[in-house]
Amino acid sequence: MKNTKARNASGYMFLTPWLIGFFLLAIGPILVSLYLSFTRYDMVGDPRWTGLDNYIYMFTRDRRFWKTLEVTFHYVVFAVPLRLIMALGVAMLLDKGLRTIGLYRAIFYLPSLLGASIAIAILWRQLFSIDGVVNQVLAVFGIQGVGWITNPQTSIYTLIVLAIWQFGAPMLIFLAGLRGIPKDLYEAADIDGTSRLRKFYAITLPMLAPVVFFNLVLQIIEAFKIFSPAFIISNGTGGPADSLLVYTVYLFNEAFKFFRMGYASALAWVLLVIIGLFTAIAFATSKYWVHYENERD
Amino acid sequence: MAELKLRKVGKSYGTLSVMHDLNLEIHDGEFLVLVGPSGCGKSTLLRMIAGLEEITDGTIAINGKVVNDLPASRRELSMVFQSYALYPHMSVRKNLAFGLQNLKMDRAEIDRRVDEAARILQIEPLLARKPRQLSGGQKQRVAIGRSIVREPQLFLFDEPLSNLDAELRVQMRVELASLYERLKTTMIYVTHDQVEAMTLATRIVVLRAGKIEQVGTPEELYTKPANLFVAGFIGSPKINMFEATVTGSGSQRMLELGDFGAYALPPGLSEAHNRLTVCVRPEAIKPESGAIQTEGRVRLVEYLGSETIVHIDLPSGKTLIFQTHQMERHRVGETVRVGFDPGDQHLFDADGQRISTEEALFA
Amino acid sequence: MNATEAALAETELEAERDEAARVAHEYRLAKNKRERRSRLFKHIFLIIFSFIMLYPLLWLLASSLKPENEIFGSLGLWPSTFNWSNYTEGWEALPVSFTVFYRNSTIVTVLCVLGNLFSCSFAAYAFARLEFTGKRLFFGLMMMTLMIPYHVVLIPQYVMFLKLGWVDTYLPLIVPRFLASDGFFIFLMVQFFRQIPRELDEAAQIDGCSAFKIYWAVILPLSLPALATSAIFSMIWVWEDFLAPLIYLNDIKNYTVPLALRLFIDQEGQSAFGQMFAMSVLSLVPVVIFFVAFQKLIVRGIATSGMK
Repeated sequence: MKNTKARNASGYMFLTPWLIGFFLLAIGPILVSLYLSFTRYDMVGDPRWTGLDNYIYMFTRDRRFWKTLEVTFHYVVFAVPLRLIMALGVAMLLDKGLRTIGLYRAIFYLPSLLGASIAIAILWRQLFSIDGVVNQVLAVFGIQGVGWITNPQTSIYTLIVLAIWQFGAPMLIFLAGLRGIPKDLYEAADIDGTSRLRKFYAITLPMLAPVVFFNLVLQIIEAFKIFSPAFIISNGTGGPADSLLVYTVYLFNEAFKFFRMGYASALAWVLLVIIGLFTAIAFATSKYWVHYENERD
Repeated sequence: MAELKLRKVGKSYGTLSVMHDLNLEIHDGEFLVLVGPSGCGKSTLLRMIAGLEEITDGTIAINGKVVNDLPASRRELSMVFQSYALYPHMSVRKNLAFGLQNLKMDRAEIDRRVDEAARILQIEPLLARKPRQLSGGQKQRVAIGRSIVREPQLFLFDEPLSNLDAELRVQMRVELASLYERLKTTMIYVTHDQVEAMTLATRIVVLRAGKIEQVGTPEELYTKPANLFVAGFIGSPKINMFEATVTGSGSQRMLELGDFGAYALPPGLSEAHNRLTVCVRPEAIKPESGAIQTEGRVRLVEYLGSETIVHIDLPSGKTLIFQTHQMERHRVGETVRVGFDPGDQHLFDADGQRISTEEALFA
Repeated sequence: MNATEAALAETELEAERDEAARVAHEYRLAKNKRERRSRLFKHIFLIIFSFIMLYPLLWLLASSLKPENEIFGSLGLWPSTFNWSNYTEGWEALPVSFTVFYRNSTIVTVLCVLGNLFSCSFAAYAFARLEFTGKRLFFGLMMMTLMIPYHVVLIPQYVMFLKLGWVDTYLPLIVPRFLASDGFFIFLMVQFFRQIPRELDEAAQIDGCSAFKIYWAVILPLSLPALATSAIFSMIWVWEDFLAPLIYLNDIKNYTVPLALRLFIDQEGQSAFGQMFAMSVLSLVPVVIFFVAFQKLIVRGIATSGMK
């Protein structure tokens, strides 16, 4: 009896910093946020209960809400798959036992590391400006460039290209995954005369499925949360005709520019639900295409 | 049918040569076992035959056709891997059918072969399961099944039983032997376990450091080992080895064997030898009998039920092992007299090579 | 057959062997040549691809040194003259010198890294090594917090910090790190701790060590790779953090480097590109240095975090 108490004591002692943080910075705020989403709060007075007003407005009258969903989904749907395909492709290229793999790995990973920084956002804005590098390169091929950022149709693609440029992080995870596939599976396939294509989708992909799944979920969650590049490139406005108004920028402006804290909280909760739904769907469907190897001999 | 000719086969990794000028002929329908300590090159050789490793030097020919440039899938062979190499996400049936699908065989034929192999190996109830639901022995049978369905002319086995526990290994050995009896196809089998080699092989190739030490039937290797290495490698418990010198001259020459004293040299032994190694198998040494005797103190007794293995310390400090089926129990510390007959000795020269003797002269 | 026939057969056999060996040898040479060629193509492709990947960064560096009119003029990477003045002038271009900004960023980063290491290793130790009621539950909750977007807790946290009077200080940035707010590092460390053999703990226990002693003298020293990886990622993420400082820091004198850069765009954005790029380059320098120095750890950290 006493032993359990003593064990608990030391366990909780070590857990204390996290426990405090969990309640004060996680659970507490989540619940408060939920509460605030049903109020009107501009930081001056006290929050005023408005019931479902925020949500009703959001779904029925707020055109910008739907615009930001469209922009964000557009971004996620393009950025995540393209980035993962790039990551897998380059990982497979590098996996063939190159001696200089370390160097290439570092080169391709560097953009991932720097990508979230303001410096890169600044850079990107200039690369895609009307007289920027991208248009200059296109001019070499005789193609007339456009104002990528000032044109509402194309601005989101500057963000998507930035995301693809940062394929290094998922690439590293894929590299580790590829290394985990036993070599003799491929050898057995060789003896059976399997084509390279068949080896890829009959062995490589299925064996990588857990890693692909993990990467996919992680990347989707990250993509929904994109902020700095969109903010900087659009100068905090959300871009021409709201074409860069990703969800977090919209949320940020509602909260800290217009001080509509209640509404912003509602937006935050909708984001949470969307991310939760995506994750749940991913996990639910994973049973069908992810096979975990259970090494029990 | 498949017969192989390996000519001057060599293997190097960069500047490091691990095999050089290896020559071997494998006859159709035999069960050839490549055996040797780890690192001797047996797996490398097998993989070169399979087409999974580059042949740096020399040629390997199957049925007269040089296969150096032929990819593995066109050599009409199949291979069973040590780790089974089953595709974890496919059912057993799909695992068995996978290779055949590459050959664009029609569905009915594939199913027929899969069912046949499953019947032979008694894995029919497992066809719908996934590899992770199988035990080690079942996985091994599926791996063997996968190689059977191809109906190859040559079977290759790379230490297939190493991952199994002892009891299972014995069982699978029997099954492999009966499989061979049934199919009678050429089989090349790699193992480090000399018991597997002795029980399964029609011929054994003993390898060490990339060189063939001896090729022969299990009997030949056991009764006429070509050198000290083979003598020590084949047979368990390990053969006893004693240093001996030739003393005297002319017809008065004697073999001076340390603890055993001196005794007459076998006739016909060349004058050139004066330092020899005498080897005697543990079962050839008997207590209280034999023409050449010595005495020692029992150090360890291993009682196995059907037989007893006794380790004794000889006066010179060396250890002698003998094996007996007799019922009397030797006790540690007691002195015992043991001996062997000249007909049971194997003589090796100063370089470790076998000296053939006229055994017919000795009873 | 007699000796002559045998010898003849032997020479024939020998000739046949040699011919076969020659054929095989030639084939091998051709194959090696083919392989070397495809390897060459692969390398060429990778080199070109690497250049394309790095071009934006190289362009940034080059533009920071080019005279203003050259920046958008050509694609060439070599400046005609080296305008180091972009750096010196850019450093002082804002009302507050970048020295202040770098000092601020350094203070925040160092404290945050320390906080992360301290609190996350504590929590990880508890989850990985200690037994207590509710452990499973809390671990599950901790893992769930990894998925919660910052934006959900952002507003209430802001209100709370506002009420505490902590706005426009570094406290809202640093204190959460001392409370293990970043679950990712807890997860990373738990994975690592689990690999340390329990026998070491048990031996120490038999020697009479308290839980804390075991943590300090056994687990921590053996976890240097995990700690180092956490420190490096922590450092990079805090250094580049934009949203939190944006919300909490108002006075320009308190700005961290990312905020200062953004201010730069606002104030000088349409004119002094060279200086802006120069300051951008400088802001990336610490990250790149850390990356180059600790590359192996970083790469391994990502890989192991991916393989659950």
